[in-house]
Amino acid sequence: MSAGDILTCADLAIGHGDRVIMDRLNLSLAPGKILAIVGPSGCGKSTLMRALGGLDEPLGGKTTLMGVDLNASRGQQRQDILRRTGFLFQGSALFSSLTLRENIEMPMREFLKAPHREIRQLAEYKLALVGLADAMDKLPSEISGGMAKRAGIARAMALDPSVIFLDEPSAGLDPMSSGRLDELILRLREAFGTTIVLVSHEVPSILRTADFCVYLDPDTGTMGAYGPPKSFLQAGQPPKVHAFFSQARFD
Amino acid sequence: MSDVATGLSSARTEVLADGTAVVTIGGSWNQDSSLPAIVVKGDRVRVVAEGLADFDSSLPAWLYANFKNVRHLDLSALPVRLQSLVQMAEKASSADERPPHPGFLEQFGTWGLESSASWGRAFEHIGHTAIGFLRMLVGRAKVNWSDFRLELQTSGVDALPIVALLGFLTGLIMAYVGLIQLRLVGATVYVANLVSLAMTREMGALMTGIIACGRTSTAYASQLGSMNVSQETDALRALGINPIEYLAVPRILAVTLMIPLLAVFATFIGVFGGMVVACAGDLSIEQYLTQAVRAISFKSFLVGFIKSIAFGFIAAWAGCYRGSVAKRSALGVGEAATSAAVLGITFIVISDALFAVIFNLFDL
Repeated sequence: MSAGDILTCADLAIGHGDRVIMDRLNLSLAPGKILAIVGPSGCGKSTLMRALGGLDEPLGGKTTLMGVDLNASRGQQRQDILRRTGFLFQGSALFSSLTLRENIEMPMREFLKAPHREIRQLAEYKLALVGLADAMDKLPSEISGGMAKRAGIARAMALDPSVIFLDEPSAGLDPMSSGRLDELILRLREAFGTTIVLVSHEVPSILRTADFCVYLDPDTGTMGAYGPPKSFLQAGQPPKVHAFFSQARFD
Repeated sequence: MSDVATGLSSARTEVLADGTAVVTIGGSWNQDSSLPAIVVKGDRVRVVAEGLADFDSSLPAWLYANFKNVRHLDLSALPVRLQSLVQMAEKASSADERPPHPGFLEQFGTWGLESSASWGRAFEHIGHTAIGFLRMLVGRAKVNWSDFRLELQTSGVDALPIVALLGFLTGLIMAYVGLIQLRLVGATVYVANLVSLAMTREMGALMTGIIACGRTSTAYASQLGSMNVSQETDALRALGINPIEYLAVPRILAVTLMIPLLAVFATFIGVFGGMVVACAGDLSIEQYLTQAVRAISFKSFLVGFIKSIAFGFIAAWAGCYRGSVAKRSALGVGEAATSAAVLGITFIVISDALFAVIFNLFDL
């Protein structure tokens, strides 16, 4: 853990209600890096991501995002931190009554002082970045799952966030679309220097994109491993972690 | 336009002898500041940076918006990161490929076609519902009977308080209005006839039907619409179960059975409401009840009862129909709920008018 880290957590405990599902979580991430959270279904990956992003309160421990202690931040300070992050939810969570363009414009209208024309320009650019220039005026119900994911990423990027959280971005996508999405994530990081935290089951995608990976072990209720994802395939890793990555890779 | 000296975003254009437009950008670019406006003609543009400070996505967005349709765009003089940000944006199809905004006649025609298709779907749904009922009667339909029992409770018993309140107030209002006129001719005793006859033949069934539209139709449209969104109705179809038989038939049956009972209840409560007003002023309880019993004939009761059966069917069907054709979005579910209430009330009033004509023909 170093002073320049954009995201850290120390002895973090997460769960639902009062029930702890993971604790003793310690990790840190430097700006511009990509962290993947992996583990079996139901182990608390999305819950951890929400806690790291400040959407949910952890049950214990400390989380620091962009130098701000999330436990201590309330009200406006918390809003300011959330404004500097972007989220892609599992189901994309696009506003169904708005077109894709309006979905992207919505946070801009709320937070930016730029004139209407420039907001429109920005929204069109963000949609073009994710390859949806031709679908700007469509409603979310009129597009495919892969397009909805990309539109969700465009909305997450609307305010040029420092950190983007992606919950299963390639789930349910065909290998080609999944590959394109990985490419997009890498290009966004390269171009904007954005730090990315993603939850994923897709080992090939994690190997392609992530700099670091944390494996959550539901049996021990804490991190099973933390490091570069390629190292998880090598000998010397905990057997469960090695098996998870090797099995998924062959799948 | 702002300039480099002030540190704000700036852009200026000059045209070279060979027709190439050179756009020089500089300053600091961020999403919160106003961006410069430029006009560039020609299909050959070179963008260069001069005194360019920090920038966020507003600069690549500005470049993309202004030059996306330029055939020969040279960005090689820009920082590599900025080039990459502009090149990442895939070219949008040109604006003239978008369909033109339809004219009034086209819009009117589209509306007409959509309306007729919508009516077609509505009648088709009525047909499928009727077939569902027939199949249920011969024991071939897969009906969710647990839904039926639940709906008897929610659409019937749970509606008693609101039906009682509105029925009482309807009788009360009619008695007030009636007394104003009947006092003029010294015939206040007939207020009992007015209230009891109106409640029995008309208002008991009508008010209950409207309550069912507001309460039950909207609930059914939301339920079935949400099931559409979550593909539960598709799952039923995939299992070989007809959603109309499984979901709509038990609901429509429950409401069609409960609304007549509620209408009878509303009628008695309404007559009681009229009595409270009448007896507070001009009449005794005995006088009011005697007149009321004289006024209510079996024919009147039958008229109200038949109407309430129809109104119950319409209210439940409207909810099930709008829910089943709801768009797969939160907006679609909301629209379905609204349109279910509107459709139900409209059909109830139309059918009430038709009943008036039919009963008049048969001297009922």
